[in-house]
Amino acid sequence: MHRVLTTCCFCACGCNLYLEVEDGKVVGVIPSKQHPIARGNLCVKGWNIFEFVHHKDRLRYPLIRKNGRLEEANWEDALGLIARRLSEIKEKHGPESLGVFSSAKCTNEENYLLMKFTRTVLKTNNIDHCARLCHSPSVIGLGNAFGSSAMTNSIAELAGAEVILVTGSNTTEQHPQIARFIFDALERKAKLIVVDPRRIALSKVANVYLQPRLGTDIIWLNGMMKIIMEEGLHDDSFVSMRTENFQAFTKHLEQFDLEQVESICGIPLEGLRQAARMYASVKRAVIIYSMGITQHVSGTDNVQSIANLAMLTGHVEQEFTGVGPLRGQNNVQGACDMGALPTTLSGYQNVADAGVRKKFERVWKCELPVAPGMTGTDMVHGALDKKIRAMFIMGENPVLSHPDVKTTRNAIERLDFLAVSDIFLTETAELADVVLPAASFAEKDGTFTSTERRVQRVRQAIPPIGSCKADWQIICELSSRMAYLMDYESPAEIMEEIAMLTPIYGGIYHGRLENRWGLFWPCPSRDHPGTPFLHKGSFARGKGHFECVDYRPPAEIPDDEYPFYLTTGRIYQHWHTGSISRRITMLSRDEPDAFVEMNPVDGRRLGVRDGKPVRVISRRGEITVGARLTEAVPEKMVFIPFHFHEAPANILTHDKCDPIARIPEFKVCAVRLEKVQ
Amino acid sequence: MPDELILNKEHLTSFLRKIAREHRLIAPVKNRYGDTLFEEVSCLDDISLDLESRPAMPPTHFLLPQDETLFRYKREDGQYYFSEVLPEVSTVLFGLRSCDLWAIFLLDMVFEQDFKDPFYLNRRSNTILINNPCLEPMKNCFCKSAGSGPFLTEGYDLQFTDLGDRFLVEIGRPKGKALVEKWDYFFVPATNKDKNKQYEAILEAESRFQQVVDLNTASLRFINNEVDETLWEELATRCQGCGACTYVCPTCHCFNIADRPISETEGERIRTKDSCALPGFTRLAGGHNPRQKRSQRIRRRFYHKLAFAKEKYHRSSCVGCGRCVEVCFGHVDMIRVVETICEKAEKRSSAASLQLGEILVNTGLISSEELKTALEKQATTGKPLGTQFIDDGLLTRDEIGRALWHQMNIPSTAETAD
Ligand code: SF4
Ligand code: SF4
Ligand code: SF4
Repeated sequence: MHRVLTTCCFCACGCNLYLEVEDGKVVGVIPSKQHPIARGNLCVKGWNIFEFVHHKDRLRYPLIRKNGRLEEANWEDALGLIARRLSEIKEKHGPESLGVFSSAKCTNEENYLLMKFTRTVLKTNNIDHCARLCHSPSVIGLGNAFGSSAMTNSIAELAGAEVILVTGSNTTEQHPQIARFIFDALERKAKLIVVDPRRIALSKVANVYLQPRLGTDIIWLNGMMKIIMEEGLHDDSFVSMRTENFQAFTKHLEQFDLEQVESICGIPLEGLRQAARMYASVKRAVIIYSMGITQHVSGTDNVQSIANLAMLTGHVEQEFTGVGPLRGQNNVQGACDMGALPTTLSGYQNVADAGVRKKFERVWKCELPVAPGMTGTDMVHGALDKKIRAMFIMGENPVLSHPDVKTTRNAIERLDFLAVSDIFLTETAELADVVLPAASFAEKDGTFTSTERRVQRVRQAIPPIGSCKADWQIICELSSRMAYLMDYESPAEIMEEIAMLTPIYGGIYHGRLENRWGLFWPCPSRDHPGTPFLHKGSFARGKGHFECVDYRPPAEIPDDEYPFYLTTGRIYQHWHTGSISRRITMLSRDEPDAFVEMNPVDGRRLGVRDGKPVRVISRRGEITVGARLTEAVPEKMVFIPFHFHEAPANILTHDKCDPIARIPEFKVCAVRLEKVQ
Repeated sequence: MPDELILNKEHLTSFLRKIAREHRLIAPVKNRYGDTLFEEVSCLDDISLDLESRPAMPPTHFLLPQDETLFRYKREDGQYYFSEVLPEVSTVLFGLRSCDLWAIFLLDMVFEQDFKDPFYLNRRSNTILINNPCLEPMKNCFCKSAGSGPFLTEGYDLQFTDLGDRFLVEIGRPKGKALVEKWDYFFVPATNKDKNKQYEAILEAESRFQQVVDLNTASLRFINNEVDETLWEELATRCQGCGACTYVCPTCHCFNIADRPISETEGERIRTKDSCALPGFTRLAGGHNPRQKRSQRIRRRFYHKLAFAKEKYHRSSCVGCGRCVEVCFGHVDMIRVVETICEKAEKRSSAASLQLGEILVNTGLISSEELKTALEKQATTGKPLGTQFIDDGLLTRDEIGRALWHQMNIPSTAETAD
């Protein structure tokens, strides 16, 4: 038996672990003790990560649709068909009719190549990935406020904070290692504020817990800032020296009515006052947030508001402070960094900037498309009215992960051509014309960038199973067939090109990642040690920008017909659409089925007992799931995880989006509940 | 050949090299990333043996792998064919720590007593154990408190004590002896001076422990039902259910058995490591879960380690390795819990006495008269009620344990699963 150190492929905490290999099979896993985040332990997903690699359902050969059925094929034919169809459709309907989904599960090198392929070969900027569905508001909101959208500080700094404010993040379940640092801070007598509509586990150890109504975050954020201003707890010198637009901001805030905190948000003003004083009166305070803040029609505004709060109190630009948008997928940070986005090339270099394009054109030796690309959500809508006619999807499962499953499925089915590369036959792959079997994280080399901007190695433990190929090889072969030669020897060589074209990754080479636990970007040159915390002494954009933000209610709120709030999310044992985690024996044993969390009072009213089936109905559709009665959700609100294909929560959600970030409002919609007789 | 020998340190590699050629050699190795792990060593040249740090995973990992195939099955013409997969590799475990070795003795008892487990026993009978007493305990080690270290007087096949430039090699069992005899030219007989030096080194080591953990009192408090139940609720707010406290524990051995299809017609029956910290652990068919609440699961783990094992094997099944102390997400660990139990129990003692008394009366073990007398006596002696009964010869520890166990409704399915 031997062991190979690599990076976990579930969440963006970025634990390093050893895969145990015996006779070419991955048979076990153990955490690295020295790794600064893993610290000798993994969450339950990490401890069971090895099992899916050899699962019998893994795709082992390419599939081509013939007479309506997906049939076994060889690589030659599969790649040939994709190349031919993409070229034909591009010829006939123009490059803007093609769309690409990249993947936050894939490596940086693969994301970079796919975005290069999209822009050089397909000649379109229509590339996006699931960050659209999780942190696009952070990309825009924090970008606008600070000049960079990533976590401002490193994870380990949390343990040194005096006050930690967690909002819209069920940290113990979704970012277990980050919660571990929060517990470390509590050991050192730090104070914890939790603001969340669900009574999450952290709320039980919090010094202050506030329970706002769904989708009313701007109210309590504005309220908190108003209290801070009124009590003179803001950091005057920081605000005047390091930020801009403060005048307008305070003027706007003056009009805010603190009455609304109770009336709209449902939070007692006294509680908010306590939280405001706690957060504002110390030097080292951190805000941690996640999907509960971003997945709203007001997602971008929510994020901007959080940035306002941090700047107002001077809790940025220092160690042990800052704003931490917790990234979900193992490499969603990296996929954004690599430019798998419609508006930016790698390193957030704007496609619209002719100078930037020129720089890439010189190395890529071809002209780049200028027209702005479409976002993921818009591409799906575009497929409905035939603006998008063909798609290439790498390692994503939009049929389950996008809102309003029926509409999404309908849209995908309308495509003239769909190619998917994945490790399992997902609900999306089932609709494809060609399916390519991809190598899993255990079968390839590369890098992932964790939520704290730590770029780390992924190391190949075993050869690809069956006839699988790593996605970077798939892209190279496809590209070369479409008359644009890509002949990289290895992901290390791709990283050299990334470093050359991407200033924030300028000093990141595989060799340098070897004898340390990765590097934090920005790392502009070979001798640069990396940057654990951003904006030291000055914001990336120069001065921090205050934005005036107004409350906007969710797109759909309960009424007589649909009287319950529904919010969706994830649970500890499973990962996204469950295509990996539900195939792991221990994880599916512990959480085998979909459920709806509802307050026992509502349970009683409906006559539903714990574990009994309930029908959940929205304007879009309905599902039947088992009831889980718990005080974790307040009355008149229910929670459903979206991992379960047999009862997809996203049948219920709607596809109204934030106007700027185009993120759908997964966190709020209205439903009706019925007892199943 | 005498039972105490000297191996010059410069011959260690050569000796291990010989072993590695004929056996699967497993030893603690510090890898290039700085992690020390028990590794299979086939070539001694480019590794750095690390006898100082505690390997992250216990050596029992090799006796009870995370995922193992028990047998394979195949379906052909409506018939099933089975083939058993028994492990048969001769293995030498070198660089063990006393706590880990003790853990192996405990596992031996578990897998030999009630149900003989051929997979474990086969591996075990093919394994030679070489112990290295720890002369420098680490920060969270408490084998001394647990009575399992830092050195052993028996049980090992060989024991190597570091005396600076040489090892004192003690032969414990025939398998160890055979190993030394085969390559006897590396060894010379030990002198009295060497023995004295070992004695001094061990005394010195024993004085260096930073942790004193009163497992005995904690066990007693458990057995006497004097533990404040709110403790588990509090710990449950910090536990995240990762399962690591049991995965890294050298004495934990729960597993889950499942069938894993390989193709349409073939599959394997596997057993994978399980953990009482996981919600599905005690779920019975039909979905009823007697320990659904996290607090109950945590309670059970400590109950099992401190009280149940004490009843059954006459010692707690915590050997004081310190691993769970360093990995927990929310500081729910043996040292903390024992400390809290010992502290909190003081305050609760009298209420607990009454409760215990009630249980004993209910199960018919004592009469209410006897209870009354014992309570009066207890008021003057200050002893816990259970101890009072035992001292008065009214009940045995076993009887009290059984009564409590019964009372707590620990289902028998869970009991046989681990
Ligand atoms: S899922 Fe996240 S917390 Fe769990 S092991 Fe992987 S990286 Fe670590
Ligand atoms: S290690 Fe800690 S967090 Fe993990 S299951 Fe054990 S007690 Fe819970
Ligand atoms: S309970 Fe903790 S300290 Fe005790 S043997 Fe197990 S891992 Fe080691």
